[in-house]
Amino acid sequence: MNVLVTGAAGLVGAEVCARLTRNGHHVIGLVHRVRTLTANNGRHVRAELVTGDVTLPRLGLDEPSRRLLAARVDLIVHSAAITDFGRPRETYEAVNVAGTANVLDLATEAGARLIHVSTAYVCGEQDGHILETALDARQRFGNHYERSKFDAELLVRKAAAEGLATTVVRPSVVVGATRTGVVREFKNIYVVLKLLSEGRVTAIPGHFDACVDLVGVDHVAALIADVAENRADGLTLHAVGSSVSMRHVSDVLAEYPSFRVPRYVAPATFSPAALPGVERAYWDRMLSLYESYFRRRQTFDDTAAAGLRTNRRATNGPDQLRKIIDYAVRAGYLGAPLPGVDEALAEVGR
Amino acid sequence: MILSEAQIASLAEQTLARISAPADAALLLEGSIAEGFGNSRSDIDFLLVADQEADMPTMPTIFFVDGRRVEIRTRSVGQITRHLLDVAGHRGRITRLDEHLLNRCQRFLRGYPVRGADLIRKVRDNLAYEDFAAVMTKWWAEHARQSVRHAVMLTALGQPEPAAGWMRAGLQQAAKSWAARHGETYLEPKWLSLQLDRLAADPLVERYRRGEATAADLGVTGCDERPGQLTVERPREVTTWQIGDRVHLVRDRQDVFVLGAEAARAWRRIVWGRPLVSPADPPGTGDLVAAFVRFGLIRVAWRGSDITPRLPLAAPAGSVTPAPAMTQPILSISGANPTHPRSIDLVPLPAHRFAAAAMALVWGNVMVENAVEDLRGALDREQWGVAALATARAVNGGLRALLCAHGVSPLPSDPDLIHRLDLLPTPQPRIAELARSLSDGTPDLTALAEFVTAVRAATGGDAFPSSFDSADGWQHTLDIGYDWLRLGAYLDQQLPLDEAQDLLSSGGAQPHTTTKEAR
Repeated sequence: MNVLVTGAAGLVGAEVCARLTRNGHHVIGLVHRVRTLTANNGRHVRAELVTGDVTLPRLGLDEPSRRLLAARVDLIVHSAAITDFGRPRETYEAVNVAGTANVLDLATEAGARLIHVSTAYVCGEQDGHILETALDARQRFGNHYERSKFDAELLVRKAAAEGLATTVVRPSVVVGATRTGVVREFKNIYVVLKLLSEGRVTAIPGHFDACVDLVGVDHVAALIADVAENRADGLTLHAVGSSVSMRHVSDVLAEYPSFRVPRYVAPATFSPAALPGVERAYWDRMLSLYESYFRRRQTFDDTAAAGLRTNRRATNGPDQLRKIIDYAVRAGYLGAPLPGVDEALAEVGR
Repeated sequence: MILSEAQIASLAEQTLARISAPADAALLLEGSIAEGFGNSRSDIDFLLVADQEADMPTMPTIFFVDGRRVEIRTRSVGQITRHLLDVAGHRGRITRLDEHLLNRCQRFLRGYPVRGADLIRKVRDNLAYEDFAAVMTKWWAEHARQSVRHAVMLTALGQPEPAAGWMRAGLQQAAKSWAARHGETYLEPKWLSLQLDRLAADPLVERYRRGEATAADLGVTGCDERPGQLTVERPREVTTWQIGDRVHLVRDRQDVFVLGAEAARAWRRIVWGRPLVSPADPPGTGDLVAAFVRFGLIRVAWRGSDITPRLPLAAPAGSVTPAPAMTQPILSISGANPTHPRSIDLVPLPAHRFAAAAMALVWGNVMVENAVEDLRGALDREQWGVAALATARAVNGGLRALLCAHGVSPLPSDPDLIHRLDLLPTPQPRIAELARSLSDGTPDLTALAEFVTAVRAATGGDAFPSSFDSADGWQHTLDIGYDWLRLGAYLDQQLPLDEAQDLLSSGGAQPHTTTKEAR
């Protein structure tokens, strides 16, 4: 099978390419700049690379190239997306929404099947058990990213209604490999863990029983590879792992002597204005982007995914959190913070 | 042997005459005398082997025969066979083999048959002696390896005397391993010198006795003196909880240690997986890190493998627990009070009661703060009944704080608080007097202020910290309340955590400007 993977250089995209090539498929990776693909374990991925841009009409390809591509591909895995927070709304719309529309055009022209990589957090801030079949519940979104992925899913559903064979895969928070914690880039939750563990931000407005779902990048890629082999047209699949509560975060951070553990302050009375100057800056620029995740109480149904996937889901949240932190410590991303003023003065006074 | 065959036969006959033994049971002289060691004070150890599968009682029977202490144990063939097969079939880490199991097997394999030699030979066929000796060689070698590695670690931490002690122990264990390789398997180290006497033809024995033999010379590899391969690793269940600026450690969800400021700085520098020592460590860090190791607060690994030193048949394995620090009061708003900047003090309360008492102390503060607010409002409007109840609540909050600070947890119920000041380690007659007069008499802010001051004095000034002097201080108390919630959550305290968060928040929402006026 000839498979086009958009966002092939991304964390999920590269891992998908690695698995598809391993399964004997010819992979065409759509990339921005990179010349080679690297899987999460650091190994080179042998794939044909095409330079393009999903935000542009024809994916930024010239017409002959696009026509040639459309003639070749049997399956498109659309994993290109802006996944980090804090960008302008227009950026998410251009990449995540308009980019999906452009990919849908290509899929329609090629008559190719589409696996659309979305996010479990299209559910926004609604609490409770989120079904794979649910989408529009008039939910409020925590950030532009969630909104844009929701809008993109609406486009995919519309295309499906018009006859395109599509499957939506919704990962939760994608982290390092399930067994080892290995990850090749530290973004999103890793940034949160860094700011909290180093005591850059000491208090967050959250509940002890609020929870986020962490899923290993290998688990997400494996599910997508499974769907590539066994069609799941019309289905939406939650690629989720283990639920980690804010209490788990507190307990696990406390296992590391050099780490600080944040205070969870009642959200109703949390006031960023009361934070000290530097902490306020960290809050405003970074952690405020994740604010609603500290108070959500969401779990994700994955009944449909369970019927298709070939690997087992990791279910021990604290264990998964510990693994990703251990790896981040080994890699030097997390660890000993710079000494505070008091400590530095104490050392000088010896 | 120091006893003749005739003497042994006589002792056996007199011993058997005193017990009811099956007629077909075999009898074995075992232990140090059977080994050829022993002296005039040594016990005579007999093992009666009953030819049956069912277990026999394991407690020895003790007699005095001809002025000698005689112990006779009984075992069935089934029991001994299982022991031997357990050793023969062991897989996995060699030191998991229990020392008492090995001791029983060794004594059986090397005992002197007094009666029923055929039966004993048949049972011995389950484990060839040379195989047993090979097991003992590896077993002692692994213990030696761990002891020497532990000594290397202590040296790296600047602990020369304990390091020398462990190095001596390691070399002795290496010598036991070497002796086992040459057929000398007796477990107890006390007869090592006689075991080596029998192997004295080898020049290594003399070198060992002169202190010139290394563990490697004695066949124990994997313990070069290179501290660079030592890393600090996470123990099974140790967590760090900072309350205000004070660092507490909870071990096994049971024991709470409070660190002095310098110890806390050393603790905060620890990162799992990094080298045990660093050139950047401030002077004196080694002593503190060695104490962390001793108390089981960190593990140390040698190229990724745990260092697990042990002295078989001599000392229990595992972490040391110090005597609890007996400072009074035990608790303040910021947790336990360390005795010294370098101290690693064990708190004399189990973790869950420590956390419960501390949270009750915070609530006591919240109660007093809110009650004083209510009292002022009630006095302004001359609501005397409301004022009386507010005063009683403030007094109860103060008494709760006083009792909690001294470790009373769970607390008596509110009506009983005033009658249970006898739970305190020292009498507090003035506080009791003030509490009674405030509870029974006219609401009086001045008297309440004196009561709070008295409680503060009785708790070393920390039951009601600066929170009662300024809005910032009060906010600090509330922040610390959030710190305690984290520990409470970790220890599964029966506390509705989110409601507790809200309670703290509402406590902080009191109008501080008027609070100041009240003081």
